[in-house]
Amino acid sequence: MTADRSVLQSNYPPGDLAIWIFILAELTVFAVFFAAYAFTRLQHVELFNEYQLTLDREAALINTLALITSSYFVVRAVSAIKVDDRRRCVHWLLAAISMGLLFLIVKTFEYVHHYSEGINLSSNTFYMFYLSLTFFHFMHVIMGMVILAAIAVMAARGKYSRQEHTGIESGASYWHMVDLVWLILFPLVYVMR
Amino acid sequence: MQYQSQAVAKPYFIAAIALFVAQVLFGLIMGLQYVVGDFLFPEIPFNVARMVHTNALIVWLLMAFMGASYYLVPEEAETELYSPALATLMFWVFLVAAALTVAGYLLLSYSTLAEITMNKLLPTMGREFLEQPTITKIGIVIVALAFLFNVGMTILRGRKTVINLVLLLGLTGLAVFFLFAFYNPVNLVLDKYFWWWVVHLWVEGVWELILGAILAFVLVKTTGVDREVIEKWLYVIIAMTLITGIVGTGHHYYWIGTPEYWQWWGSIFSAMEPIPFFMMTVFAFNVVNKRRRDHPNKPAMLWALGTAVMAFLGAGVWGFLHTLSPVNYYTHGSQITAAHGHMAFYGAYVMINITIISYAMPLLRGRNAANSAKSQIWEMWSFWLMTISMVFITLFLTGAGILQAYLQRMGENPQPFMVVQEHISLFYWLREIAGVIFLIGLVVYIASFFVGQNDPEATTAN
Amino acid sequence: MKRLSELLGIRPCTLIYLLLISFSLTTFLVAKMGFSGLGLSLMVLFLALIKGQLVGSYFMGLGRVRGIWRWPVFIWLFIPGILIGMAFYLSYP
Ligand code: HEM
Ligand code: HEM
Ligand SMILES: [Fe+2]
Repeated sequence: MTADRSVLQSNYPPGDLAIWIFILAELTVFAVFFAAYAFTRLQHVELFNEYQLTLDREAALINTLALITSSYFVVRAVSAIKVDDRRRCVHWLLAAISMGLLFLIVKTFEYVHHYSEGINLSSNTFYMFYLSLTFFHFMHVIMGMVILAAIAVMAARGKYSRQEHTGIESGASYWHMVDLVWLILFPLVYVMR
Repeated sequence: MQYQSQAVAKPYFIAAIALFVAQVLFGLIMGLQYVVGDFLFPEIPFNVARMVHTNALIVWLLMAFMGASYYLVPEEAETELYSPALATLMFWVFLVAAALTVAGYLLLSYSTLAEITMNKLLPTMGREFLEQPTITKIGIVIVALAFLFNVGMTILRGRKTVINLVLLLGLTGLAVFFLFAFYNPVNLVLDKYFWWWVVHLWVEGVWELILGAILAFVLVKTTGVDREVIEKWLYVIIAMTLITGIVGTGHHYYWIGTPEYWQWWGSIFSAMEPIPFFMMTVFAFNVVNKRRRDHPNKPAMLWALGTAVMAFLGAGVWGFLHTLSPVNYYTHGSQITAAHGHMAFYGAYVMINITIISYAMPLLRGRNAANSAKSQIWEMWSFWLMTISMVFITLFLTGAGILQAYLQRMGENPQPFMVVQEHISLFYWLREIAGVIFLIGLVVYIASFFVGQNDPEATTAN
Repeated sequence: MKRLSELLGIRPCTLIYLLLISFSLTTFLVAKMGFSGLGLSLMVLFLALIKGQLVGSYFMGLGRVRGIWRWPVFIWLFIPGILIGMAFYLSYP
């Protein structure tokens, strides 16, 4: 294991370094948001515990599975291009995008439900955090899907190959970041109490 | 200079510097009025001086942005400017409008000015930074539209570089957000709410794109580093700017009657606003370290690096200082705000404009690449004089601000505003002294355009 | 991981995927069964951090990177993880 690892090792993460700097900056914003949630909860434990129960945990589970699956598909897309299998690569990317779409649909249903109950940012501190955090993440899912769609188009046009696939790796890294954020957001906002 | 039409930039730059001088003179007048209350009373009251100081600043920065665009857009697009004549015409329109407006401020009372410019028909006057009579504002819009048209057509016609597109995006945003200057709801909360769409979304949004594009242009030219590297940085910087800066507007929505969630949104997003400024610093130093050649125009490089550092300090560090709502609760509208406003405006937008002027002026005046060694030495002196005295202005105001917040808003017995002002007058005297040195720096800067004109150009060797 | 995945006859990334799915289901069940309390919260948090690290190392490929770029995701999980854990710890009287 150590032997074949050393062959693969490099000093830089996959994809363009610029996207990584961007990813780090974005992750920082989320980290601050998470910490703010946790410490604000400290001041309103009962309120947070009470209103957390009004969230739709099934929907959140479906969305977690959707994002993990979609991330996995993206990993497969990168593997495919590394063996010059462009067709597969495009297929995996499209599958990943459709998982993203599933996420958006489920989340939209959640929002519609809250909206119909008259809940908004000013309802209380818990909903303020819940809506802000998930909506900020929601925007990232959209952004990530746009990036995935762009690299899918480029891949279909034959822009990537075994030798040159930095673009795909950059987009993949961004998408994994979107997944990564949700993996913390889900237990923090929906489960931990 | 590669294209004839780039020459239209020259009058814009010259007028910008002239207005810069006026701005600083009025700053000094106000600085003195802070400690000698009746100085120049009743000829130039404080509120009038303040209007001239801030409006001259905004107008000269806009003029310099336009000059910068007329200079760099053709070169990037590799084609002549769409209409040099239109650019020159708009220069005169803009200059005359600015001169008339300042004359109106100085010669008439503000209410008379409002009356004779028929502010009643479409009231837009009376708000900080947007004091201009409505017709002046309409003039600005016409100039901006003609300018965007001219620059846009040039870009459409020629090579589309990332620098040009980012610049165009920033300039378009500038024009679009200015339109909110015409929206003046009666409700004071809404008024303030949208007022920030001009002020904040300018300096912490679209102007940052302009700043990034101009900085990238000068760095491409002076370092010869690959465009691709620079473009990547530019993408990341503008993406971060927009993500943090747009929602970051919330740091002005803490105490004006807007919903409570702005405390969080404003604090969290604006706390991240220093990131793009920090990236800009890393970017500039990175690119300069990787340079493929040594450009003979050393002051341009100095201004470019100075911009990156001072913008980070003024906007990033001094902005962060008071951006979290629990801190802003005590510092809101204090001298800390003024300290930050000065260093941020100087470090980001004054310096980026001097950077492009420093790079372009020698070429516009017929040099091959740079001024004479003597002129460069003067210019670099002016850099240090102005920059260091601005650092001191900022530090003195910060000192004043901390004391002010403490004496007036914290502790056991908060004291009244004017009593506190007495206590901190020493800082105001020190600020005024630093201001005089700033003016000396500015004079040295202007002198650098005239010294060593007959000497040969500097070469890389020295 | 690699050995295990060979043993099972699947790709390493598929193994990671299955782990992520099962951890998520566990988290969901904890919530569904109405559990609460400090111990469970911290366990759920710990699982989430592990999941994050798996994504970072295997999906994002940082496991194969040498030097500082190996660590950003780890640090991103570690610091907020500590802060969140601390805030929850303090929220139980
Ligand atoms: C180059 C960019 C910037 C410029 C030119 C600038 C300029 C200014 C000016 C002139 C004001 C005073 C506005 C007024 O009330 O009249 C101000 C206020 C403020 N700025 Fe900035 N700023 C910049 C960037 C930033 C950044 C990045 C931050 C945050 C990290 C920030 C945080 C603030 C805050 C919190 C206030 C309100 C202060 C108060 O409550 O009185 N600024 N800025
Ligand atoms: C010679 C140096 C300068 C002096 C003595 C000076 C002095 C002043 C004074 C006294 C004010 C009014 C503060 C108040 O309303 O209480 C002011 C406002 C302002 N000045 Fe200056 N100024 C100087 C240079 C500059 C420069 C170079 C810039 C731009 C880069 C600048 C930008 C501003 C801005 C943006 C405001 C509005 C600030 C706010 O609302 O907080 N000033 N200045
Ligand atoms: Fe702002």
